[in-house]
Amino acid sequence: MTRPLSERGGAGEAAGAVGAVATAAVLEPVAILTGAQLRRRRRRRELAANAGWYVVLTFFAAITVFPFLWMLLTSLKGSADPIASVPPQLIPGHPTLANYQRVLDSLPILKFFQNSIVVAIAVTGLNVLVSAMAAYPLAKMRFRGREATFYLLLATLIVPTQLTYIPSFILAVNVFHYYDTLPAVILPSLASAFNIFLMRQAFRAIPNDLIDAARVDGAGEWRVWWQILLPIVRPSLAAVAIFTFVTSWNDFLWPSLMLHDRTQMTLPVGLAALQGFFSSDFRSIAAGVTMTVIPILLFFIVVQRYFVRGLAGAVKG
Amino acid sequence: MTARFRATPYLFLLPAVALIGVFVVYPIVAVFYYSFTDYDIVRPPVWIGLDNFRKLLGDGTFWLALTHSFVYLLVTPTIIALSVCLAIVVNRKLRGIHIFRALYFVPAVSGSIAIGLAWRWLFDRNGIINGVLQTLGIIHTPIQWLAEPGLVLPIAMLLTIWAGIGYYSVIFLAGLQNIPEELYDAARIDGCSDFQKHWHVSLPGLRPQIVFVAVISSLAALKVFDEIFVLTARTGGILDSGVTMVFYLWKQAFTLQHAGYAAAIAIVLLAITLAFSIVNVRLLERREADR
Repeated sequence: MTRPLSERGGAGEAAGAVGAVATAAVLEPVAILTGAQLRRRRRRRELAANAGWYVVLTFFAAITVFPFLWMLLTSLKGSADPIASVPPQLIPGHPTLANYQRVLDSLPILKFFQNSIVVAIAVTGLNVLVSAMAAYPLAKMRFRGREATFYLLLATLIVPTQLTYIPSFILAVNVFHYYDTLPAVILPSLASAFNIFLMRQAFRAIPNDLIDAARVDGAGEWRVWWQILLPIVRPSLAAVAIFTFVTSWNDFLWPSLMLHDRTQMTLPVGLAALQGFFSSDFRSIAAGVTMTVIPILLFFIVVQRYFVRGLAGAVKG
Repeated sequence: MTARFRATPYLFLLPAVALIGVFVVYPIVAVFYYSFTDYDIVRPPVWIGLDNFRKLLGDGTFWLALTHSFVYLLVTPTIIALSVCLAIVVNRKLRGIHIFRALYFVPAVSGSIAIGLAWRWLFDRNGIINGVLQTLGIIHTPIQWLAEPGLVLPIAMLLTIWAGIGYYSVIFLAGLQNIPEELYDAARIDGCSDFQKHWHVSLPGLRPQIVFVAVISSLAALKVFDEIFVLTARTGGILDSGVTMVFYLWKQAFTLQHAGYAAAIAIVLLAITLAFSIVNVRLLERREADR
């Protein structure tokens, strides 16, 4: 009688729990179960019931993680460990960090890092600022040309970025003269219609009364924006910032067109150069890949929550 | 005072509009102009009318690239199907589910060049796929996967799918969590099986997310470059077997210095993208009307 009740939850749950204690006491009359033991037992039962799901989850996880794991293991292989063998050797028999040393000796990986960090931080900081600025009047002010500006910005979202690269390349060489310098990569990424769109959504959610009250109190538009609105939309700012950072960090095509000097390269460009440099030295390439993936993974682990929330929020807009 | 108030919105917009004007709007206008010229970036462009477009019609590699880009669109339905399934699986309240969700996201943040290099070695002659297949006795001599003209594109597509599932499933997961629990209860009372439940409740509930992912992943598929670049070691593959629209654009513009011709390719790409977006919007509107 307790069983169907317990499945319905609510009051039945309590009855079920009592029932469970009672059954347990009958089965094991010697041991009186503590709360902790009961919880552990329930956890074990839960795990067993969901074993099938865990198999599916682990299978997907294995497929996802395997290429990375294989890179890591290969990067640790010594010269006596075979790259290709039947059956394949996964765990290095003679683990060594020599491959990392070789990569660091032949290419300025640390410089690539430094460049990537400079670019990503500059792009993220300024892009978020510029987008948040543009989004405020689009969300909360009435002025001539508002709709036109907004739809023009939206239209640029459809255009594939790559088709702007030919004129942008010519601009970089003939007008801005910043070919082979970091500003060539930073400047074109400073405004993004997508980020403006997301920030506009965030500002629109703020009640007008709040802004009007601040205006009545004598705050100018800039103060309203900086001191009242920006703190409110901080979660959106964080999400936009993280997205921009990761996108900028991984951007390849445009930086590869602009940056040819080894001291100017960002990580993805340097990594492509590494492929050319070591061509068939798989151990060194694996070391290079591992070195570039680990920092962004650590970053992802730290900011994971915002990342997921931002991605989920993007669709609602 | 009023004059100053009127200037304010434009001042807020100024930096963004100036930047987008210089780096997006001007290049679009310029690329139109260049597409009618013979231009090698070094010497000034020479007006040649429609010659570039006429040349495109007879250019076998261009048609190949166009075909490849359309084939690449098959990535979109595959990604949607798989990431909806994954989202349904990770939507269960299981212990440690957050760790799994984070794991699936890893390829999306690792960068296309890094994961492309990893895959290039998975499928290398000395790679682990050959090793495993040989161990199982399925093949006896290692296969040069990426030197097979018919395999370059499928492997690149597989890579895109593999890297995208975790990313897109997060979007679907958020959608699933917005579907009211009562709908599932009602389905259960009506005697729906687990599969029917998701077919009749989850899928219609996920419609906005499906449309969104269809749009962004097909636009991304039309623009694919990095994967091809790394997997084929910047060659585009034997017999141009991996060349896509953007890859061909890049090759013409930046390795062969045919900027005018590449601009014409860019215009075709823009036309396709616009047509695609219009179709997408139409479909979206029709579905809204159906409700």
